[in-house]
Amino acid sequence: MLNKKHALKISREYTQANFTWIISLILTVVLLLNSFNFKEGELKGSVFSVFAAYAFFTIFQTILTWMVKRDLLTIGEIRSSTRKLGYVQLFSIVTGNVFTAAFAFNLIKKQKTPEYTFAVYMLLTQVFIIAISSLNLFKSYVADSFLSAMIILLGIMIFQVVTLILTARYVKEESAPAWMMIVAIVLLFTALTGNLFALLLGYSLIVKVRSHDQSKISKWNTMWKKITRNSTAILGLFFIILMFSISVCSTFTFDYDMAVENDYGAILQKPSLAYPFGTDNFGRDLFSRIIFGARISLLVGFASTAIPVVIGGFLGALAGYYSQRTDNIIMRLLDILYAVPGILLAIAIIAAFGANTTNLILALSVGSIPTYARTMRANVMMVSNYEFVDSARALGSADFSIIFRQIVPNSLAPMIVKATLTIGGAVIATSSLSFLGLGVEPHIPEWGNILKIGSTYLESHSYLAIIPGLAIILLVLSFNFLGDGLRDAFDPRMD
Amino acid sequence: MKKSLLTILLAVMVVLAGCVSTKSDVSDKKNDNTEPKTDKSKVVIELLGMGSGEEDMNIVRDQLIKNGFDVKLNIQPDYGSFTAQKEAGNYDVALSSWTTVTGNPDYAVRALFKSDGDNSIMADEEVDALIEKASTETPNEFAKTYKQLEQRLVFDKAYIVPLYNSFKAQGVNKDILDVNTVRLAKSRAIAWEPIDFNDKTKRETDSLIVQQANGTLTSLDPIKANDGSINTLNTNMYVRLVNLTDDDVVVSDGSLSYNHSIAEGNSAYYFLLRDDLNFAAITDGKAVDTGERVGADDVIFSLNRAKDPNSVPDHRTYSLHEHIQDVEVVTDLSELDVLQSGSNETIREGLEKGLDVKIAELVSDKTSADNTSGKYQVVKMTTVNPFPQVLNYLAHQSAGIVSKKQVESINTYDVASFDVSKDIPYGDQNSVTEGAKYNNTLYASGPYILSHKNDYEAIFYKNPAYMAGTDYEPKISNVTVRFIQDPDSTLSALRNSEIHLFNGVPETKYDLVENDSKLFLQKNDSNAVSYLLFNTKNREVSTSEALRKAVLYSINQDEILNFYQGNKKKAVSTVSPMVDTGNELKADSAKVQEFLNDYKAGN
Repeated sequence: MLNKKHALKISREYTQANFTWIISLILTVVLLLNSFNFKEGELKGSVFSVFAAYAFFTIFQTILTWMVKRDLLTIGEIRSSTRKLGYVQLFSIVTGNVFTAAFAFNLIKKQKTPEYTFAVYMLLTQVFIIAISSLNLFKSYVADSFLSAMIILLGIMIFQVVTLILTARYVKEESAPAWMMIVAIVLLFTALTGNLFALLLGYSLIVKVRSHDQSKISKWNTMWKKITRNSTAILGLFFIILMFSISVCSTFTFDYDMAVENDYGAILQKPSLAYPFGTDNFGRDLFSRIIFGARISLLVGFASTAIPVVIGGFLGALAGYYSQRTDNIIMRLLDILYAVPGILLAIAIIAAFGANTTNLILALSVGSIPTYARTMRANVMMVSNYEFVDSARALGSADFSIIFRQIVPNSLAPMIVKATLTIGGAVIATSSLSFLGLGVEPHIPEWGNILKIGSTYLESHSYLAIIPGLAIILLVLSFNFLGDGLRDAFDPRMD
Repeated sequence: MKKSLLTILLAVMVVLAGCVSTKSDVSDKKNDNTEPKTDKSKVVIELLGMGSGEEDMNIVRDQLIKNGFDVKLNIQPDYGSFTAQKEAGNYDVALSSWTTVTGNPDYAVRALFKSDGDNSIMADEEVDALIEKASTETPNEFAKTYKQLEQRLVFDKAYIVPLYNSFKAQGVNKDILDVNTVRLAKSRAIAWEPIDFNDKTKRETDSLIVQQANGTLTSLDPIKANDGSINTLNTNMYVRLVNLTDDDVVVSDGSLSYNHSIAEGNSAYYFLLRDDLNFAAITDGKAVDTGERVGADDVIFSLNRAKDPNSVPDHRTYSLHEHIQDVEVVTDLSELDVLQSGSNETIREGLEKGLDVKIAELVSDKTSADNTSGKYQVVKMTTVNPFPQVLNYLAHQSAGIVSKKQVESINTYDVASFDVSKDIPYGDQNSVTEGAKYNNTLYASGPYILSHKNDYEAIFYKNPAYMAGTDYEPKISNVTVRFIQDPDSTLSALRNSEIHLFNGVPETKYDLVENDSKLFLQKNDSNAVSYLLFNTKNREVSTSEALRKAVLYSINQDEILNFYQGNKKKAVSTVSPMVDTGNELKADSAKVQEFLNDYKAGN
């Protein structure tokens, strides 16, 4: 009995099953509340039917959870009949419930390689992209490249379904068949749509096909197992990649004019099929604006994190490796920069040089250079005492070669974790500056701009504020969850 | 039968094909009639405006882009930096607005479009001549002249592009205030004295709380400022010879005069003064009656300094009063026996209308005036040219009556060598701001007097000697003016009863006020017009009439009205709210292309 309790505790499926039914239940309740118009006591048919579908899959999820628990407690593992029920739950993907769908994929397969997880999320991402893009069909017209882009996306999805089946069948924990190489290369090309899971899967397959170094493979497997075990981290990664991918695909499947051109005949429309999130006070489609806004948020978020990582990392590495004096000069100068409040510095830079995306990125970058320099310096100081550094020095390597070949690669992990966690901050800063009228021009779809308009209609048309707010929250939350997952994965103490 | 089947089949096919019509399908249909453009390069227009006009700028940007322009936005956060950019010439078109606070059309065009106008950046002889011609005409005649002016200003030369005429809207807390006592005038600033609480017992104990956006007061000397920071405050602090009604008729009601009258020839104006107004001052934080009557000498002093550009340093309003020639007190009763303009009554009959005690004697010393025994004061004003609209200017806050004695005793500096750092002029806002420099020397002739202010609010007290016992006596004793800049915050303040009155509810928020059970929304026409002003120096738009006209015909006022949910009116020029000229600006993309091609061909 004790053994079986332990089985319950370590079972990934059971943990995820619990997480899933709770989240799913919350979504169901939200839908239920939204399907009633409390003022007039009317039932909204469309929302109610979505609620019904969610309720069905939530109930089924609860049953599955109970069965998994019973199986684990009685025989110590999940029965294959229970696992087969996962195929039913797969249909929940039609409702757009990513949580139940992801769980179903996990339940079906007993032995889960990282490749299987990548393939699952790759497919989920693709399905979501196609679903989101096809909402454009309800509009009065679609972008010129819409049809061809959708056909390509659908083609890729079919290929991904095949890949998922092949991966589930033939990819083993430590190796993959050689012919998978072709699949891997095609996958790398499909990653051009922004679906980075395809890139991860392709890379992972190539490593397994070509490498005979078992330690490298097992290291890769361990790291991704740690990340994928963490439901929130992998969902965060899913949302980030979805946003990234939709930003890339929207170039072809969405019409930019719908997001920026005023339509005085459709001002402040309530959400409908043609306008899934309604329209704003200028009659612009909020849905298109949110989609195009993701592009700016991600671009500014990544760029304004990458710049300080590179500059701060470089300065920090020098300061950490060289003597007291170099260290002092660099770090004291950076301390001065550190003493200037970041957001004020950004406001000053924007006020002086004007509001556009480039200046916004620079303004947000400058302020965070010192913190990255500090992180890097601390790591470099620690790593430079290791034996392999001494041996490189004894072999007569040049200083720069030691720093950037030996030390920096071994000090990157904390930088990556920190960067992931601060991208979220950069996304918020971008939106805040736009909200204050200091970011990009007001008509450009940016989440802060959208929120600014929404804030004045909070009472009468609250969706104008709630939706961009949710988008910001979700993206920032995703980065935070992913950063958390990465920290756990990189932390040697967690082994 | 076959035929109908075929039709149905065709219809189904059309519907199916229509399901996914691409963008170029749609735009092809739209542009079937437009001829191919010869030159595809886009003309860049730089649009300057303030953050508060972001929505208008977006509409203009959108309409210009749809007509083949490219637009660069220059959005400045406040009026100061906007003016700086404007003066530096960093714009092709600037989003501008104008409110005719005097309610007469001359004021709406003189300062803006005459070559020598205070705010004018253009010079056009024909426009000048039309403005001068209209100023001497009566309302029946000037409609035609202003129509010609609009034709020249807007359609022929395209110096400005009109956008819209706004409404005025005021939210009133009807749980606290008696809505029937709250006025909303088309032009004049709101008068506080008639406003009353529902619960009249609170008149002495509670304050009337109103709002104003700007907390930095330009000057409390009426002639030294003409802007939103003081218009309402000075209107309530200084009485005038005449007032405007809610729909811009000049009357004597609630003013310093019982009656006024225009002599034949439209150049001489007579005012019969009241004797029941004294100046108030602030002593030990209370409003007290100074015992000094508001009389003819103060009127003469006030109007003379109003028209004289050198009476004070930084005089902001003399151009409004440049028509005044002489102001004098009348002592000879027989002088009133001339005929009124357009009537067969005499001036005396006109002035005596409705009086209980007829005029027995005219006195020159204000202290000896005693209306109950028939001793009155009469002031006569003459204008340089016949100019009936002068009365509208006398109703403006800048013609407020100040105390001759008090102002002369404070303004002892020499105007030519005035030193801002040393000399403290009458009405300086520092003298009423809480702190070390506080030294309130104001003498108020109006219903209220400003006691003190800070960055957050200004406190006013009732003038104890203002028409006491009449209908015009101020009802509420204390008035607090809150300084809240942002309209949305002000609306919140109104809704949670932090303020009682909000003048200037945004158009898009009318429904919020209307749906709030404790609020009442008052609406009236206003004289505020928004328009685009072209740069007249060193820009393509300065020299090319065709380019200006291309911009003009790109603007679609119907779409603007749509955006504001119908809460704006069309306008053609700044006189539109006062004179119905019958002109209308119609958007026309065919004309835009024509003019753009003209411009690109070098015309």
